Amino acid sequence: MVEITRSFEIEVDIIDDDHRRLVDSINEIIQALNNEQFELCAQLVPDFVDLSKQHFRREESLLAKYDYPQTDNHIKHHASLDDKMETMLALATKVADSPPAAEALRKELIFFMMDDIINEDMDFKSFMVNATAGKA
Amino acid sequence: MDGLHMVGIEHAYGNTNVLNNVSLTVPAGELVCLLGPSGCGKTTLLRIAGGMEKLQAGTVTIDEEIVAEPGHQLPPEDRKIGYMFQDYALFPHLTIIDNVTFGLFRMDKAEAVKRAMEMLDLVGMAQHAAKHPHMLSGGQQQRIALARALAPKPRLVLLDEPFSGLDTNMRAKIREETLMILKHTNVATMMVTHDPEEAMFMADRIKVMGDNGKVLQSGRPADIYYKPVDEYVARLFGPMNHIDGIVHNGAIGSSFGDIKTDDAENGQAVRLLIRPEGVVLHDGKGTDGGTPVDVVSAHLLGDSSIVRCSLREGANKGAEFQVRIAGAFDAAAMGQVHAHVDPRHTFVYPHDKQ
Repeated sequence: MVEITRSFEIEVDIIDDDHRRLVDSINEIIQALNNEQFELCAQLVPDFVDLSKQHFRREESLLAKYDYPQTDNHIKHHASLDDKMETMLALATKVADSPPAAEALRKELIFFMMDDIINEDMDFKSFMVNATAGKA
Repeated sequence: MDGLHMVGIEHAYGNTNVLNNVSLTVPAGELVCLLGPSGCGKTTLLRIAGGMEKLQAGTVTIDEEIVAEPGHQLPPEDRKIGYMFQDYALFPHLTIIDNVTFGLFRMDKAEAVKRAMEMLDLVGMAQHAAKHPHMLSGGQQQRIALARALAPKPRLVLLDEPFSGLDTNMRAKIREETLMILKHTNVATMMVTHDPEEAMFMADRIKVMGDNGKVLQSGRPADIYYKPVDEYVARLFGPMNHIDGIVHNGAIGSSFGDIKTDDAENGQAVRLLIRPEGVVLHDGKGTDGGTPVDVVSAHLLGDSSIVRCSLREGANKGAEFQVRIAGAFDAAAMGQVHAHVDPRHTFVYPHDKQ
């Protein structure tokens, strides 16, 4: 299971709350995979993808609001994750018949969350912590 | 979450920045490979994780314990990390069993020997426990290095070009064994290599690094190979054929016909890259006759051949390109040779003509 511990916190409440929701969603999917509830898994993955896209839009608005200088680059990064989300959606349709697909989906979800979302958000952590403190 | 988490790592040697705000995660049980050329900062990142290089900025966390942050550096021996290096780094004056028990100084002697023998058994080297390193082959020494790395039950294993010193056949064998054992032990592993094939074979996730330690792309091996983000990443996996052109009606005109692209706007100058394995040679008798070509040379490499061809007609007549085919190439059996392009092996990037 995945958890957001201290080292993964961005220290911006809106973003950390989003990340926790995404992690909860991933853990539901992993639980479904562990229990071989593949139909449920196939339903949960599109929800996770939708949740991710909502998070990206919310985060992009927040970065723009605080004039983060690399906002455009971060938007491009989010756009670059479309292929990975498509991959996860495709894997979700195959997990019932393919143990390798289930394992690939599990790995992809964890790396997507921890590396593609949270680690990339670390780029703006110090900027946003200062910015949100200043405007609070 | 168990595993390695590095956040905001920056590092400079004098005035030269080698790492610029790098963050990465290696979950327990997964193997992440840092792939890049010499000088890209990948080994520096590994040494910072291991405590062999002093952290300048950022945080290193292993299994939720902060092992390095500004003002706090846990020494390498207290981080519970196993290492494998290119040169094995075995102590030549110690026997194999003494090499493996060397890092078990916190255990009593009998327990250390028991653990070391378990690890030697795991790597299939228990029968060599009484020998000295010079009595073993390179592959056997690397197995001992793996046993020594895993003996203290590390939270993290760091592999620094571990198979570079081995000959081709031994390298393939040892890396497969090493991967199997690492997966069996469910430990987080970070490996650095400049060898794309090695990264593809070993990694659950590859992070491609460019200059100044910038991470250019992260993803599954298949993502890196089939969806490279730019020309640099695409070219990591070997030579490429390229065609410069302008996009018209969603396609790039080439001697192989129009090649469709969704990756560029109409009117945009682009470079089309085609992997050598993305060009298919045939006798032209199918429904699509393909582009007639002449064979310039063919070299059998073992399981594949590199065939150099040139265009037989058209505006680019004589232009050469490279093809990789499975097995041996028999031009005489094929007669007239034609070529077409498999779009899965083509990539389009914006290209400014300088």
